Amino acid sequence: MIRWATYIGTAAVHGFTRNPAMSLASTLTVTLMLTLFAFFLTTDRGLQAAVGVLESKVELAAYIDDNAKVSDVLDMKKRIEADPAVARVDYVTKDQALQRLRDIAANRPDFAFTEISTNPLPASLEVKMAEAREAKRLAQDLRAEIGKGVIYDVVDNPQVVDQLLTITRVLSVGGVAVLAMMLVVSLFVIVNTIRIAVHARRDEIEIMQLVGASDWFVRWPFILEGMIVGTLGAVVALAILFAAAGPVTTVMLDFVDILPLSFGPEFVGQLVASVFGVALLVGAGGATLSVRAHLAK
Amino acid sequence: MITLDDVSKRFPNGTFALRDVDLAIEAADFVFLVGSSGAGKSTLIRLLIREELPSSGRVVVDGEDVARLARGRVPKLRRKIGVVFQDFKLLPTKTVAENVAFALIVTGHSGPNVREETDRVLSLVGLSQRRDHFPDQLSGGEQQRTALARALVNRPRILIADEPTGNLDPVTSWEIIKLLTRVNELGTTMVMATHNAEIVNALRRRVVHLDHGRIVRDEREGQYAA
Repeated sequence: MIRWATYIGTAAVHGFTRNPAMSLASTLTVTLMLTLFAFFLTTDRGLQAAVGVLESKVELAAYIDDNAKVSDVLDMKKRIEADPAVARVDYVTKDQALQRLRDIAANRPDFAFTEISTNPLPASLEVKMAEAREAKRLAQDLRAEIGKGVIYDVVDNPQVVDQLLTITRVLSVGGVAVLAMMLVVSLFVIVNTIRIAVHARRDEIEIMQLVGASDWFVRWPFILEGMIVGTLGAVVALAILFAAAGPVTTVMLDFVDILPLSFGPEFVGQLVASVFGVALLVGAGGATLSVRAHLAK
Repeated sequence: MITLDDVSKRFPNGTFALRDVDLAIEAADFVFLVGSSGAGKSTLIRLLIREELPSSGRVVVDGEDVARLARGRVPKLRRKIGVVFQDFKLLPTKTVAENVAFALIVTGHSGPNVREETDRVLSLVGLSQRRDHFPDQLSGGEQQRTALARALVNRPRILIADEPTGNLDPVTSWEIIKLLTRVNELGTTMVMATHNAEIVNALRRRVVHLDHGRIVRDEREGQYAA
């Protein structure tokens, strides 16, 4: 067992060092692929957090006509509440609206509040969304009610969410496409690197097969070599990522302003595990393809 | 031990390397395969170690129908067969002992057993003193003896030698032949393809003569030429 493991380990390391240019090229390709992969995972996670935060903040306000009957308003409230995209609907009366304004004024010394006899503030239905992407549709539905006696205006501000959702969507589709391409390129380079290693050791393989070594025994050194390429790529990619994490987060915060971007140890653990997992799969997979092609000859 | 039953081997270009060959070799037999180049000797050997499959007929080695053998079981068959070639096929970056031990390690052996078995066969072929030399530091005869030690280290039931003396001078050739006959006397079935008439005539063993893929002569105590 020990000799067996020693043989496989030594053969794999020799394979890697015998052809440094090709090994370096494949390691760099894998590094690039994994850096993109890690960056994609991190950005996706950040944007999803941002979407979550913004979604919980998205509100619509439907201002109520002063002449509307309370029963009609309550009916409207019920109707809006029945929408599955809606989290909550609050009925803010004219008095409550005025009280809010007073509270704000009390906390703001620069805000002069003059008592007047009438209350110019409208009552409103404040809608909190459960699904921010539905806000636009709901606003349209409510606008259709304007002039029918209950609602006289609808205020919504869905641009930020729209932008973020667009970015997330583009990033998901584009990221997956770029990753898929990089995966194919990485596999291709690894297959060729291992093919050269197989070619360099073809005499040894021939003798191994002649004396009755199993196919797995022949394969293992090359699979291990592929895994070495993958592991080195993963280490470099993660080093790049952690070095870049600070500046990138700053840029992201500048870009989307409000993100509570803190990646806990759980996410970092998942990220490291995913990067190493992909690295080993690509390395071992490419090597297996390459050796299998040789053994099938 | 070895049976060929109506075996033909036809290459994709249509030429026959072997045609309707029937051959039975008993355990511990010593058989010379003779015939001109291209007569089919090497093809027959390649069928025995399943480097080639027969186009028709059956090849049975130690009870296994090689054509029907699943790919995963081929290594087990090959462990029963030791093979020696004209060009030795030694690994230049390994010492004599490492070349021999290699055959044990890659077939899953480990521990002190590897050293013991390596020493045993090196002593058998008389190379104990040269165990730490590399192939390019050895004479042709010593290289062939290293290859023989490697072929024997897994204690095969059959030893196949394809022109083992083809690259050696007459004196060294005789050293190798003496070793092969000794291995045969210890109970290993021996199949040797050769062009060396002197050796075949001196040993007076079974001779199977191939010509254009057919067996044209099979004699118990044969000569190189009829």
